[in-house]
Amino acid sequence: MTNITLDNITLKDYTLENLPRLKELRSLSFARRTEICIERARFVTRYLLYHDNPADSAEVRQAKKTRHFLHRKRPVFHDRNLLAGSTTSKALGAPLFPEFFALTLWPELDTVNDRKKNIQKLEPEDAQELNLKIFPYWMDKNVLELTRERFNDPECLSLFESLVFFIAAKAGCISHAVPAYVPMLEHGLSGLMAMAAEQEEALANEESREAKEKADFYKAVQISLQGIMDYAGHLAEEAEFLAQVTDDPEVRKECSEMAQVCRLVPAEPATTFREAVNAIWICQVGIHAENINMAMSPGRLDQILYPYYQRDIEAGRLDIGRAIELIGCLWLKIADNVTMVPEASEEMFGGAGTVPAITLGGVDENGEDAVNDLTYIMLRVTELLGIRDPNVNARYDYENNSPEYCRRVSEVILNTKSVPAFFNDKANITTLQGQGETIEHARDYAVIGCVELASSGRDYPASSSIMMNLVAPLEMALFRGKRPITGDEQIGPETPDPADLNSFEEFWEVFKTQLDWLIEKAIELNEYMGAVHQEMMPSPLLSAFFEGPMEKGKDLIFGGARYNSSGATHIGFADVVDSLNAIEQAVFVDRKYGFAELLEMVKNDFKGEEGEKMRLYLKNRAPKYGTEAPIARKNAANVVRHLFELYQSHTNYRGGPYRPSYWTMTNHAGLGGITGALPNGRKARQVFSSGMTPVSGAAPELTACLNAVAELGGEYVPGCWALNIKYTPEDDQQQMSQRFAQTIEAYFRAGGQQVQFNIMTYEMLLDAKKHPGKYPELMVRVSGYSAYFKDLNEMMKDELITRTQYNLTNGMAVPFPEEGGK
Amino acid sequence: MKKGFIGDIGRYAVHDGPGIRTTVFFKGCSLHCPWCHNPEFISPKAEIAFYPRRCIGCGDCLSVCPEDALTGASPVWINRSLCTGCGLCAEECPAKALELVGRSYDLEELVEILLRDRLFYETSGGGVTLSGGEPTGQLDFIVSLLRRLQEEGIHTAIETNGFFPWDEFEAKCLDHLDLILFDVKIVDPDEHRRVIGVNNDLIQANLARLFAVRPEDVIARIPLIPGYTATEENIRRLSVLFQDLGVRCCSLLPYHPYGLSKAERIGRKQTGSLLENPMDRSELLQWQSFFTGMEIIDPYE
Repeated sequence: MTNITLDNITLKDYTLENLPRLKELRSLSFARRTEICIERARFVTRYLLYHDNPADSAEVRQAKKTRHFLHRKRPVFHDRNLLAGSTTSKALGAPLFPEFFALTLWPELDTVNDRKKNIQKLEPEDAQELNLKIFPYWMDKNVLELTRERFNDPECLSLFESLVFFIAAKAGCISHAVPAYVPMLEHGLSGLMAMAAEQEEALANEESREAKEKADFYKAVQISLQGIMDYAGHLAEEAEFLAQVTDDPEVRKECSEMAQVCRLVPAEPATTFREAVNAIWICQVGIHAENINMAMSPGRLDQILYPYYQRDIEAGRLDIGRAIELIGCLWLKIADNVTMVPEASEEMFGGAGTVPAITLGGVDENGEDAVNDLTYIMLRVTELLGIRDPNVNARYDYENNSPEYCRRVSEVILNTKSVPAFFNDKANITTLQGQGETIEHARDYAVIGCVELASSGRDYPASSSIMMNLVAPLEMALFRGKRPITGDEQIGPETPDPADLNSFEEFWEVFKTQLDWLIEKAIELNEYMGAVHQEMMPSPLLSAFFEGPMEKGKDLIFGGARYNSSGATHIGFADVVDSLNAIEQAVFVDRKYGFAELLEMVKNDFKGEEGEKMRLYLKNRAPKYGTEAPIARKNAANVVRHLFELYQSHTNYRGGPYRPSYWTMTNHAGLGGITGALPNGRKARQVFSSGMTPVSGAAPELTACLNAVAELGGEYVPGCWALNIKYTPEDDQQQMSQRFAQTIEAYFRAGGQQVQFNIMTYEMLLDAKKHPGKYPELMVRVSGYSAYFKDLNEMMKDELITRTQYNLTNGMAVPFPEEGGK
Repeated sequence: MKKGFIGDIGRYAVHDGPGIRTTVFFKGCSLHCPWCHNPEFISPKAEIAFYPRRCIGCGDCLSVCPEDALTGASPVWINRSLCTGCGLCAEECPAKALELVGRSYDLEELVEILLRDRLFYETSGGGVTLSGGEPTGQLDFIVSLLRRLQEEGIHTAIETNGFFPWDEFEAKCLDHLDLILFDVKIVDPDEHRRVIGVNNDLIQANLARLFAVRPEDVIARIPLIPGYTATEENIRRLSVLFQDLGVRCCSLLPYHPYGLSKAERIGRKQTGSLLENPMDRSELLQWQSFFTGMEIIDPYE
C-alpha cells in the first residue's frame, strides 16, 4: 500500500453532518425535478439555418456548430456547488439533441408536463419553439431519417423500428467513450490548440486530398476547443458578476474563486487540485455540447487527479475534508443531467441516468497497485452521497491490490446497498489484450457506461451500437422464421419445422441460422448509420481528448482512435440458454415431450393442467444456466462463443471489429413484458433475466452460480457483462463484508469479469413497490447502472423484486415469499 | 471401490469449521438424539422427502411407484412403511414436491463436486467438512475421501458424535483430519442412554484420547437443547468433565428448531418436546460462563 498515507481508509470521520455543503447539494439533487433544456437544440438549429457553409468539411461544420452553441451557452450557477459549469441551463436538465431522438417528443409536447411517470418539465414557450422552429427543421435531417433516405428504407431499418428484434442505438447516440484528460490538464486547451495549429500549418503546403482533409480536421479541433474556452470565459464573467452583486461575503469569496479558476482552466494547464477538477468538469460539459449525454465516462479520476491532489496536500494547500468536498461537488455536477425520455420509451429506458462511469483502483500501466488516497476519498464520497450518477466502478486485481482495498469496496457496497460495481482486472486486461491492445493500454482500462471496457482515451468502442434481443431468433427458430408478436409475417429465413428435427444439434443449427441472419441485419444497419454519422456527426471536439486522432489527423468517426470497435449487447441470454437446455433435455434426452407438443404448449402459454405440469417439469427438471449441469454449461458456452466468433469476423466502418457484451439496461424487463412463453417454462409477459444473470430461481447455489458465469470467460466477452447478485443484508456487517470480499475474490479467480449487487430482500422491495413514499432515496442496481427504485416502471420493479436473493450465511437462494418453498 | 452413501452436499457452509466450506452429510447415525438438526440423515437408507405445498396433485408419482406406497390426490400421501426409497416418484415429479434423500457416490464423483469450490476455500481459509448423520459410520469411504482431499491440499474437518471405535479411527482416519468438531451431549450415563439410545463412556473416552493426541485440532461442542442438554446440572457436570478430560477448547451451539420441519418432510416423528423458537444470544452467553479456564470459541458464523 505504497500510495496510502491515510490513517483510516474508511474516512468515517467525514460525514454529511460535517460537510454541510454536500449535505445541502445532495438534498437538492433529490428535490429537483427534471426540466427539458432546449438551449442546444435552439442554437445548433440556428447555426445550421443561418450560418452553415455546406462547402466546409463535415468535421469543420460540426466544430462550428458546436462552437456556435458553446459560445452562446448560458453560464449559470444554480447552487453553492464549488465547480463552475453545467451541462444544461437547468439545475437538473434533459438536453435535446435533434440529430437523434429529440423528435420523439413532438407528439408529447402537450402532455410531457403531466404524464404519470418521470415527468420532464417543459416551458410552454420552449414547447412552442420546438413545435414551430426546431422540430420542423430536423424532420428529415436526423440520423434515422437520413439513414432511411440514403439507403432507400432498407429492411434492416424496419426490423429496428418494430423495436422487438434489435435496437440500432446509433439512431440515438454514439457517445459511450472515456476521454483522455491528462494532456488537457498538462497542456491546457490552448496547448492542445497550439499542437493542432502546428499540424495544420505543416500540412498547408501539401496539395493532396488527404492532406487537405487532415488540415481540415486540425482546424475543426481548434474551433471546437475554442468553443469550450469561450464557455469557460463566460463562466468567469458570470462568476465575477455574481461576486459583485452578492451581499453575502462567503458567496462573494466562492464566486471570486470560481472566476479565477475559470480564467485559468481549462485554457491553461491546471496547477492545483481544484483547478484540475473544474477543468475536467468544464471539458465534460464541452463534450456534451457535441455529443449527447449517454455514458460519456470520465474514467480513472483517482489516477488522473492524483498528482494534483498529492502536490496540494504536500504543499499544505489542501486537506482531506476539502478534497472530499470538491470530489463530492464533482459527483453532484456529473449528476446534473438526464436523458430526455418520451413516454413511449419509459418501458424500455425509464429511470435511467446518463451513466457516466468513473473507474477506481486496479493497477497502473506497469501492473502495479494503483490504489491511492484519492481512491479512498472517492469511495467515501460515493458512500456518503448514495446518488445514481456517476456510475462508480471499482477495479480489483487480486494479486496486486491489497485485501484491505477489496474489503473497503465491499463495505461501501454493503453500506450503500448497491454501489460501486466490482471489476476483475486480471480477466478484463486479458480480454482487452485479446482485442489487440498492448498490455500497458489494456491495464489502463476504464469502464464506459454500464460495464463496457476501454483503454482510457485510446479506445473508441461505440459500445452501445446494437442491442440484440436473443429471444427473437430463438422464437424464429421455433416458428420457422416467424414470431408470435409479429404474427404471420415471415421475418427470418423459413427454417425447418422443429418437429421434423432428429437431434438437438439440428435445432442448434436452425437457431444459429436465425441468429446469424438477424445479427447480419443489425450490423448492416449499424454500418449504414455509421456512414450517416460520418456525414453529419463527426466528433472533432471529442477527438481532441483522444490518443490517435491528433497523431493521425483523423476524426474518431473515421477511425482516428488508436483502437476502434462497435459494441453489441444481448438481451435474454439466460432465458435463451435455458430454453435450449429445456429443448435438449425434454425433447431429445429424456424424450419426455415431442417438439410439436412442446411448441403447442409454448404457444398456449402452458395453459391448463397438462400445460402447467409441463411448465413445472421444464422449470424444475431441465438443466439451468447458473448450475454446473453439463448440458447447461455446454449450451451457455456455445452461445457465447458463437456470438464472439460471428461479431469478431465483421469489420466496422471505422476499421475495427464488433465486440459482443451482455448488459441490458431495463430492456430485459420491457421486452419480456411483451413476449410470449418460452421453452424454459417462463410464462408469457414475464421479464427476462438481466445481463449475464441466471434466470431468477434457476440457480439455487451461490457458488455454482458464480462458477457457471465465471467460466464463460472474459476472452469471449470483450464488451464485458453485468452479473446481478442480490444478498440478504445481515446484522453483523463486519462479518458479512469479510465473506462478501472472499466470495468476490473466488469468482474473480475463476475468471468472472464483473459483478454488481443489491443488498436487499424480496420483502423490502415488495414494500418499496407498495409504499414508494417510504423509500424516496432507495437506489438499486439495474443492469450496469444505478436507478432510484421509485422511478422505474412496474415491469422493472418486478424484475428487481424477483431476482434471486442469496444468503451469505449459507450460500443458498432464499425462496420467494409467495412460493413458500417449505 | 466402495461408495459413500450421502444425504446431501451443502456448499458455502460457514458454520461447519473455518472459512467457506462444503459439507458432506453422510447418511446414517448410531445415535438418536430427539432434537437432531438433520433428522433426514439419521436413517442409513434412502428416504423420500415430501413438500406438500409444491404438490400440484397430478398423480404421476402414483403410477410409477412399484410398492403402491403413494395414495391420495392433492397432496399425495406416502405410506412410509411401504416406501423403499427407490426414488422413482421423485424422478417423475415435475414440481419437485418429492425429493430423494440419500444416494451413493463414487469417490471421484464426490471429489469432483467438492473441488468445484476450491477457489472459495482458498480465498476464505475454508475446506471440506464431513458431517451427517455420522461420517465415521462409513469409515473406509471417508478415509479414502479424506486422503484424496489431502492430496488436493484441501483443509479437512469432521463433525462427529464421538461414538466410534478408537483404534480403527486413530489408525486410518485421524491423520487425514485437520480439525475435529466433537459433539458431547449429556454427562449422566443413564440419562444419556435413555435419551440418545447408547452409552456415553466410549464417547467420553474418545474425547479424552483426542485431546491427548491432537489437542490443538479438537473442539468439543455442546448442542444447547433446552430441557435436554441445556440444564444447569448437565452443563455444570460437562464443565467438570471437560476439565477432567483435558478439553482445551469448546464451543456451545445455541438451539435452533431447524430439525422440526425437516423431520416432518421425511415422515419422521420427533418424539421429544422441543421449543419452536431459537435460543437467543444472552442465554448462550449465560451457558458459556460455566466454562472458565478454557478457550470458548463462538460457533462458526
